[in-house]
Amino acid sequence: MPDHQRKVHNRLAVLRAERGLSRKQLADKLGINYQTIGYIERGDYNPSLELALAIAELFRLPVEAIFSLTPMTLLSEEIFSEPPAEPR
Amino acid sequence: MSTTTTRRIEYLPRSRRRTLVAVALAGYPVALAVLAALKHTGLNRWLILAVFLLLLLTTVAALGVGYRYARGRIDGRRARLDERDLALRQQAYALSHRVLAAILIAVTAITEIYLTNGNTLRLDANTFWPAAMWVIVYIPALPSLMLAWIEETGQPADA
Repeated sequence: MPDHQRKVHNRLAVLRAERGLSRKQLADKLGINYQTIGYIERGDYNPSLELALAIAELFRLPVEAIFSLTPMTLLSEEIFSEPPAEPR
Repeated sequence: MSTTTTRRIEYLPRSRRRTLVAVALAGYPVALAVLAALKHTGLNRWLILAVFLLLLLTTVAALGVGYRYARGRIDGRRARLDERDLALRQQAYALSHRVLAAILIAVTAITEIYLTNGNTLRLDANTFWPAAMWVIVYIPALPSLMLAWIEETGQPADA
């Protein structure tokens, strides 16, 4: 990735694992090369807006649930973290 | 080339690829320099030839790996080039241009210094052919070598 580019964090590996997809299978669905999936997962390549939207569409998730400019929190934490206790 | 060899080349770590690119770029000039230096020694002619051929073969092998690594992407012959492939190809061509410009500037500067010191430059078959061979071999191979140089280490498809 060029030095001037900001790193885009993503949850692609987690989402792919959840659905039991290999890099090749996901790449075929998106019409890209499987290597590109690996580079995106590692943060070595920032996908274009078009590709990011295609990935979001494929996983049926909002794009900001998959990609972020700040490091992602753990999905398990987001889902299961207890909301702050309400005062009685 | 067998599928196993092709896969091995495809997954070569960047550090190893960079070493191969350096060998490919430096190999031919080094082989010529070694040949020129050994000619003035009393070494057996066959031994000199063997050393020269060994250096040349190493260079050719490194060039072959570099070419194979980028084949289909640099020339656009692969059926499907995605956005990363296209961006990488553009970067490889841009870097090739910069490297070529740097080499030409360096060669011109060295020649200029050599000539301004009262030396003369004789252009005959002994000097022309090595230079011509360099142009014929390296200029077409440079974008492939630069792609092999810049790309990060890949990951397996089935993971």
